[in-house]
Amino acid sequence: MKLNIDGLLVYFPYDYIYPEQYSYMLELKRTLDAKGHGVLEMPSGTGKTISLLSLIVAYQTTFPLEVTKLIYCSRTVPEIEKVVEELRKLMDYYAKETGAKSNFLALALSSRKNLCIHPEVSSLRFGKEVDGKCHSLTASYIRAQRHSNPAQPVCNFYEEFDSVGRQVPIPSGIYNLDDLKDFGRRKGWCPYFVARYSILHANIVVYSYHYLLDPKIADLVSKELAKKSVVVFDEAHNIDNVCIDSMSVNITRRTLDRSQANVETLQNTINRIKETDAAKLKEEYRRLVEGLKEANVARETDIYLSNPVLPDEILKEAIPGSIRTAEHFVGFMKRFLEYLKSRLRIHHVVQESAPQFLKDIFEKVCIDRKPLRFCAERLRSLLRTLEIADIADFSAITLISHFATLVSTYSKGFTIIIEPFEDRTPTIANPVLHFSCMDPSIAIKPVFGRFQSVIITSGTLSPLDIYPRILDFRPVTVASFTMTLARTCLCPLIVGRGNDQVAMTSKFETREDFAVIRNYGNLLLEMSAIVPDGIVAFFTSYIYMENIVASWYEQAILENIQRNKLIFIETQDAAETSMALEKYQEACENGRGAILLSVARGKVSEGIDFVHHFGRAVIMFGVPYVYTQSRILKARLEYLRDQFQIRENDFLTFDAMRHAAQCVGRAIRGKTDYGLLIFADKRYARADKRGKLPRWIQEHLTDGSLNLTIDETVQLSKHFLRQMAQPFRREDQLGLSLLTLEQLQSEDMLKKIAKIAQQA
Amino acid sequence: MDDQGCPRCKTTKYRNPSLKLMVNVCGHTLCESCVDMLFVRGSGSCVQCNTPLRKSNFRVQLFEDPAIDKEVEIRKKVLKIYNKREFDFPTLKEYNDYLEQMEDIVYNLTNNSDVEKTKQMMEQYQRENRDVIQRNKVKLTREQEELEEILLLEQQNIEQRRLETLQEEQRQLQAKRKNKQALLDELESSQLPAALLLAKHKDRASQLETQIEKQKQNVKPTNIFSTGIMMGQTVSLAPVTRVEEVLYVYQPIHIDTYGPPIPELEQLGRLGYLNHVRTASLMDQAGGYTSGLACHRAVQDAFSGLFL
Repeated sequence: MKLNIDGLLVYFPYDYIYPEQYSYMLELKRTLDAKGHGVLEMPSGTGKTISLLSLIVAYQTTFPLEVTKLIYCSRTVPEIEKVVEELRKLMDYYAKETGAKSNFLALALSSRKNLCIHPEVSSLRFGKEVDGKCHSLTASYIRAQRHSNPAQPVCNFYEEFDSVGRQVPIPSGIYNLDDLKDFGRRKGWCPYFVARYSILHANIVVYSYHYLLDPKIADLVSKELAKKSVVVFDEAHNIDNVCIDSMSVNITRRTLDRSQANVETLQNTINRIKETDAAKLKEEYRRLVEGLKEANVARETDIYLSNPVLPDEILKEAIPGSIRTAEHFVGFMKRFLEYLKSRLRIHHVVQESAPQFLKDIFEKVCIDRKPLRFCAERLRSLLRTLEIADIADFSAITLISHFATLVSTYSKGFTIIIEPFEDRTPTIANPVLHFSCMDPSIAIKPVFGRFQSVIITSGTLSPLDIYPRILDFRPVTVASFTMTLARTCLCPLIVGRGNDQVAMTSKFETREDFAVIRNYGNLLLEMSAIVPDGIVAFFTSYIYMENIVASWYEQAILENIQRNKLIFIETQDAAETSMALEKYQEACENGRGAILLSVARGKVSEGIDFVHHFGRAVIMFGVPYVYTQSRILKARLEYLRDQFQIRENDFLTFDAMRHAAQCVGRAIRGKTDYGLLIFADKRYARADKRGKLPRWIQEHLTDGSLNLTIDETVQLSKHFLRQMAQPFRREDQLGLSLLTLEQLQSEDMLKKIAKIAQQA
Repeated sequence: MDDQGCPRCKTTKYRNPSLKLMVNVCGHTLCESCVDMLFVRGSGSCVQCNTPLRKSNFRVQLFEDPAIDKEVEIRKKVLKIYNKREFDFPTLKEYNDYLEQMEDIVYNLTNNSDVEKTKQMMEQYQRENRDVIQRNKVKLTREQEELEEILLLEQQNIEQRRLETLQEEQRQLQAKRKNKQALLDELESSQLPAALLLAKHKDRASQLETQIEKQKQNVKPTNIFSTGIMMGQTVSLAPVTRVEEVLYVYQPIHIDTYGPPIPELEQLGRLGYLNHVRTASLMDQAGGYTSGLACHRAVQDAFSGLFL
């Protein structure tokens, strides 16, 4: 249908629209008009992706000078594929309506592992291996060697692309990863580099967060994207953690040992080259003396090593004299490594700031701040000069050099924590140096600064005001949308007590209490008797789950549950978990019914959807707080308090609640879906926790559903399930939660829609 | 780590966790007991390279690779002599060259190549630059100064925060205690039912809580003077860079009178203007007055603006 959104003609590829989608598009349009950033929360299953795409594409076609590009960031490859498929639907609809084939170019970009079509390289299993192998075939000096030595193997796909592909732009259309591969095979061009090259003139790019947020990658892939782009971060409820991870470095004893080996290899290579080809080292030296930057042309294929964000004025300066020659640099790295080793040889935990670290390193091994800053840059130059083909081996030393550069560049927002052993195993020495970023705004700042509009959206972003604070930006629109429902298809219940009136809580003091564990067991047992098909239960941690399940086994609760349903358990092993998941779905499919026991923050809670009968009830046992004794977390909390005036408790609760909401939201994936959302902890009933749940859950939480006992829960659930089991057709939804064009344009519907969005 | 050991007595860290390895200027290790045994007289030669050594020069080995210990030792010595700073050089390039030269010296000394020559070079340098070395001895490099500043600031912040939280806690505690006492007093003296009083008390307590919360959010210590300089900052005393600019050149002003040219003061008499003016009396002249001045003024007045 064709919609009129605030004066903008929007093509929407479906015949029906949800009211909240219309509202969402209105807000989005306002954000784009204002050329500002936005934070939008809309429950999953209400068609966020298509609303986003159709509005932004319409905006692009109407105002081609205002918005030139859409950069859509998603988290996983399946999600990227889903976005591209939606986009394809939209474009087909455009073609059908306008009659003309549009000249839109949209493509997905992923790692080499997912895009390579070279027969040998693509058969490798790990991403790192593929990158390394690809590099050894396509690096600029390898290709230069081929001129003199035709026997040198190179990648034909890249050669073909390099000689022809750059002149001919890729024909317009929608390309997902497979389409790109097909296109590459047809033309004989490398799909990865075609995609990398084409994102510069594509109208829509769909790729992973890391291409924008990780400074090591973003610098190469996303450097030349225009300012007039709209950036969308979908499923962005974890964006702060992604930012932090991309800037943090963990160094273990193993890393150091491997770097030591790397340094030795470097030294041997230098000695060998000195004998055979001294001119090469001299040439590098000359370049460094003159402070010339390497020519940009050759860099495309050499992406594995890019320095983390450095201020530009530093990069323009010449490399300091103390690490200019190769031997001196190797000596420098040796000293640095030995220093790190000596730091890891401690018996108690040390926490210090970057300046303290710098001071200490100067006193111990006379390393100044400036050469440290250039460490990553210098290493890259050296590796290029030495023409080391197998680059995957050098990841350890690269990591160390990144650490050196980061620690000397940022004096604020980072902390260094050295732990001699893990908290759980204090007897086993396993020293780790965490260089941990505490300020997510450091990584994301360039994104907000560079692009005209950045949209952060997800199903669970509550409380909305905390994201602008921790990411340090000023949004023009902050809005939360509810799900309009023809029937109340979600039923959140907060269970606070067992039938014996003992409070149910995963609070530290009582979590090992027999009564609590028994009550949890009884809750699951009762629910397994009345809920059809699948139940998903989330625990707060793996250890807690293990304890409880063991205890249930002793009390014969498991045995009773198994009379009703099969039980599957998520483990830390990915393969095992996916097996369990598959069998779980099979059991739901054939009517036997099953229970999946999994862990909040685990794989299941983040990426797996339980549509319809796969998840008729979700039970959240306890409040999924992070492990609060971790020193990194403590440092981060302190930083948040000092810099952003966010109190520890607020942040912890916020974090716990977003994970709880994320877990619980797994079961409701659309308006025809229904599910029980059971929060089994009395603490959920408190106002501070309840207020942090997303609005679409809060709306259905009445006073009658707080602090229930198990019996009451069973009663309410039975009632709810019986209601939901009645037939439900599209006609029942129509006019309420699903609209045709005429219904949408009616006066009082527009009024209703205005109420959907809640500005924070 | 565990496989490190004394090359002489073959004890390893694994077998004797309290083993203390020592290293001397030549960069070869010995364990503490071997040192005590071999160097009873205070001096001797290295077991591995026969370099004459003193017992007092033995130090605990800090790093796994004894060569690094040796290098750091040498580096510290060299740094004492080669202590020029960046601002001692006109360009960055020269400074970088200097750094590289220093690096070369350290490299040669550690790897025992051209030791004699290098030592000579160092001595020569030391002789030539004695005063600079002396001067720079006490100075830190600019970067180190910056670091010190940041560290100081950090410490101050931590201290301040600690004090603040302490005060805050005490204030809260006092307020709560007062509140409790008030409730007890009321329960004692008031005629109202206890439930009402309790409810009131609860109300007050929650109010107090919110008040505290608000205060917490408001407190944002200023650590910047109104000039924008951080409080407690030590201003770094590096010489101010000279600003090159063009000198000021005086240009006489030109006034357009829009009239015929006005005769100069000296010419008035010759041209006969003064004939019509009262001559100055002796008394007038004492103050420096001449009749020409008034006349010139009058002529200027009369002539200007005639062409308009």
